[in-house]
Amino acid sequence: MALIECVDLTHVYLRGTPLEAVALRGVTLSIDAGTFVGLLGPTGSGKSTLIQHFNALLRPTSGTVHVAGIDLSQPRADVKTVRRQVGLVFQYPEHQLFEETVFDDVAYGPRNLGLATEEIQDRVQDALRLVGVDPDAFGRRSPFSLSGGEMRRVAIAGVLAMQPQVLVLDEPAAGLDPQGKQEILGQIRTLHRERGLTVILITHSMDEAAQLVDRIVVMNRGQVAMDGPVRGIFRRADELASIGLGVPAITDLMLRLRRRGVAVRPDVLSLEEARAAIWEAVRWN
Amino acid sequence: MELTRYVTIGQYLPRESPIHRLDPRTKIAAVTMWTVAIFVVRDFSGYALLALVLGGVVVAAQISPGYLLRGLRPIVFLLLFTVVLNIFFSGLQGGTVLFRLGPLLATREAVLRALFIGCRLVGLVVVTSLLTFTTSPMELTDGIERSLRPFRRLGVPAHELAMMMTIALRFIPTLLEETEKIIKAQMARGAQFDQGNVLRRARALVPVLVPLFVSAFRRADELALAMLARCYRGGEHRTRMRELSFAPRDGIALAVATVASVVFALPYEVWGRLLH
Repeated sequence: MALIECVDLTHVYLRGTPLEAVALRGVTLSIDAGTFVGLLGPTGSGKSTLIQHFNALLRPTSGTVHVAGIDLSQPRADVKTVRRQVGLVFQYPEHQLFEETVFDDVAYGPRNLGLATEEIQDRVQDALRLVGVDPDAFGRRSPFSLSGGEMRRVAIAGVLAMQPQVLVLDEPAAGLDPQGKQEILGQIRTLHRERGLTVILITHSMDEAAQLVDRIVVMNRGQVAMDGPVRGIFRRADELASIGLGVPAITDLMLRLRRRGVAVRPDVLSLEEARAAIWEAVRWN
Repeated sequence: MELTRYVTIGQYLPRESPIHRLDPRTKIAAVTMWTVAIFVVRDFSGYALLALVLGGVVVAAQISPGYLLRGLRPIVFLLLFTVVLNIFFSGLQGGTVLFRLGPLLATREAVLRALFIGCRLVGLVVVTSLLTFTTSPMELTDGIERSLRPFRRLGVPAHELAMMMTIALRFIPTLLEETEKIIKAQMARGAQFDQGNVLRRARALVPVLVPLFVSAFRRADELALAMLARCYRGGEHRTRMRELSFAPRDGIALAVATVASVVFALPYEVWGRLLH
């Protein structure tokens, strides 16, 4: 069985009230360990609702969710184990900082796990280094005295200190400057490559998706609209456009060239690939 | 984990109903009269009538009764507390003893009086929820501001009060959403809010309350800035896009509401005398 497996997952908010809203309808999806999955979709398509099922913050209205073999549609499921394995970084995670020092804030999760003091110390330092924050320079500072980008990284460290196997991030780069964006995304890529974390990334940026992920799941109106390897998905530009999404800028360039009669490969994801594709097309002429 | 599910106070339910279309001032006047009537009512027959009339309003406003009753959930504790306290400590001397609980004595009179006070609380919550269910915060503020305008000469800052109220009402759902989000974020970091003794549970709330206050202050700052950027400067010479105006239906509604409140408030004996 895959690490995360949803079968016919449906979620209805505020059921039985005048404000009832169906957020997910019949989502079937499985995610294998060690993959890097991009979750795309317009606002209100159900992405955030879906990921909250991955660590049992929400339970299915109907259908099933299995995470690491634990059936979360059962009311008595072992939620604690699931939350330890799946780390969830919400949108604007810096809004959840509360402790007096950066160290204590990152240590909040490990302390909740009831770990020994030395273990906590190690985990906090490790987590802070992973997000590029120097534990010695920042550990004793107040999280509220940091810049936006630093706060964001400390908050992500707070989740990493739980040492999850799966990291789920809801737009981790939203609202950061270009450099901050690149840094955070680079660190997430490192976590995936070097520590073998399974990563699920919600993003609105096609370029981010093209740079990072192996597989893309596109959500629309609470359903899975497309699911497949990155290249395959971005080849379907028209379909993406019909649900209000686009393709990466570089892929778009290739498509425009083709429309002008230049026979370049359409499924290009990076600058290097684009250069090679154009070179190839020009050479044949 | 859906906090909005449990807090329905201050919620507006958009509908196309005759009650929704009434001028907000009419509704405010009706609610004020009925609130006074609720305090004046002397016996259960008054509450029975009130329930009947409110039932009519609920149907006319196309609000599901279940949703209305759900709004009572937050006050269940208060309600029980009041009723129990009144049963045993009402200070009523004598009467028929119903049962004993150790040194405590419950008389028939005290129980009735406790139930009576319970009805009063429920009535108040239902009447005021009906107002917010059927009146958008915008209309409500306009209505309050216009109703307070005559008192401006006495130094009542009508516009400012109304604005403060709108903002407070407007932010109830936002802050609830925020709370829910923070609770979830901390739960994802292994927080547990339902374990341990009272002290531990209270301490477990710190990681929720601190971020909540931080964000409330940030929001307040941003809102103040946004209002300044649009040259907001209080009530003087402020015009509005939609002027309130009374329609014939408001006259009818007001008449009905006035008659109803008098009817509630008159004690049973008076009715007996009037009818014979």
